[in-house]
Amino acid sequence: MQRESSAGYLTRAPRSSGLADVLEILLDRGLVIDAYVRVSLVGIELLTIDLRVVIASVDTYLRFAEAVNRLDLRAVDDSKSVPDLFEKGGEEMAETKTKGAVEGGMDAIKEKIGLGGRGGDDDEDEERSGSRPRSGSNDR
Amino acid sequence: MSRLYLYGVTRPREVEERFAEQGIFLIAAEGCAAIVSDLDEGPVEATRRNLLAHADVVEQLHVEAVVLPARFGHVLESGEEAFELLALPEIEQLLERHETTCELTLKGTYEESVLAEVGAELGPLRAAYRAEPSVDAGIALGEAVGEGLSERRAHDASLVLEGLGPLIIDLVSSGPSGELAAFDFALLADRDSVEPIAARLEELAARLSPPLHFKLVGPLPPYSFVHLTSPAVA
Repeated sequence: MQRESSAGYLTRAPRSSGLADVLEILLDRGLVIDAYVRVSLVGIELLTIDLRVVIASVDTYLRFAEAVNRLDLRAVDDSKSVPDLFEKGGEEMAETKTKGAVEGGMDAIKEKIGLGGRGGDDDEDEERSGSRPRSGSNDR
Repeated sequence: MSRLYLYGVTRPREVEERFAEQGIFLIAAEGCAAIVSDLDEGPVEATRRNLLAHADVVEQLHVEAVVLPARFGHVLESGEEAFELLALPEIEQLLERHETTCELTLKGTYEESVLAEVGAELGPLRAAYRAEPSVDAGIALGEAVGEGLSERRAHDASLVLEGLGPLIIDLVSSGPSGELAAFDFALLADRDSVEPIAARLEELAARLSPPLHFKLVGPLPPYSFVHLTSPAVA
């Protein structure tokens, strides 16, 4: 469904390829006729949670500082020994984890509606393209 | 009295068999029609399956002709309400406006290397942090990196919008949604402009990437451009 340009910097999808693409759009955009709004969602708190990650935080600053420092060292350090590489790999993993924590708010929301956090894109695609019994909001 | 789940509004037409089998039908009035399905009592659950089903219906029907997608969870208490909705003058105006349009979502994300680029101008703060990686030195450096990144975002976002220029009819910008996010745009464009826009983005990528990555999704129905300015009063 998705294709990438030769350089790989532009990813395209003709349709929303998963819940991550449509979540905000479906809950926050679209035609609303006030007089008829009967939005009776279970988990309506979804609508009131600001999905936007707060960018300016101390945690973010410290992560930025650590990353700049690490990238600096990498640029200086041409001769990487094997232990070095292991060490850096470890750092990267640690950083990924911290990031996960920051974006945890969004993940929690995704989990609540069955997206199961990040990395769920593949099985979303499956579900999307697979046969769905009844399209609608009737199923519960 | 049957409750109806509202997917959106379109022009009167046949519904694909696949959707008809799923219980989706149109309630047609003069020149416009509500896309609905019967709904039992009880709340609409915001499950992954229901959200994707809603998106699937409006996106598929939009392939053929204009669809004004409803927000997820819109319930009509009766067929009468569907007719009242369709009678709103703004519905016809929106249908006309979007007859040949589509929405594209365009997200920009940076590789981590953007931090090194931004940090390149922060020699003294970097040196201070390396000499003594304290929390204070980290915050000072990180804050400066954050400011530099904000400037970089604004700069790149305006380059992208300039580059797309008149191919874009309208724009909703949501602001970046993550530390390394650059921008998050909903673009309204003519359906014929989708490929020219993609080609223009390839050119922009040649200038801005790395570290900038683009993700373009669409053509979608105009989710972000169907705001009613004067909603009906009950």
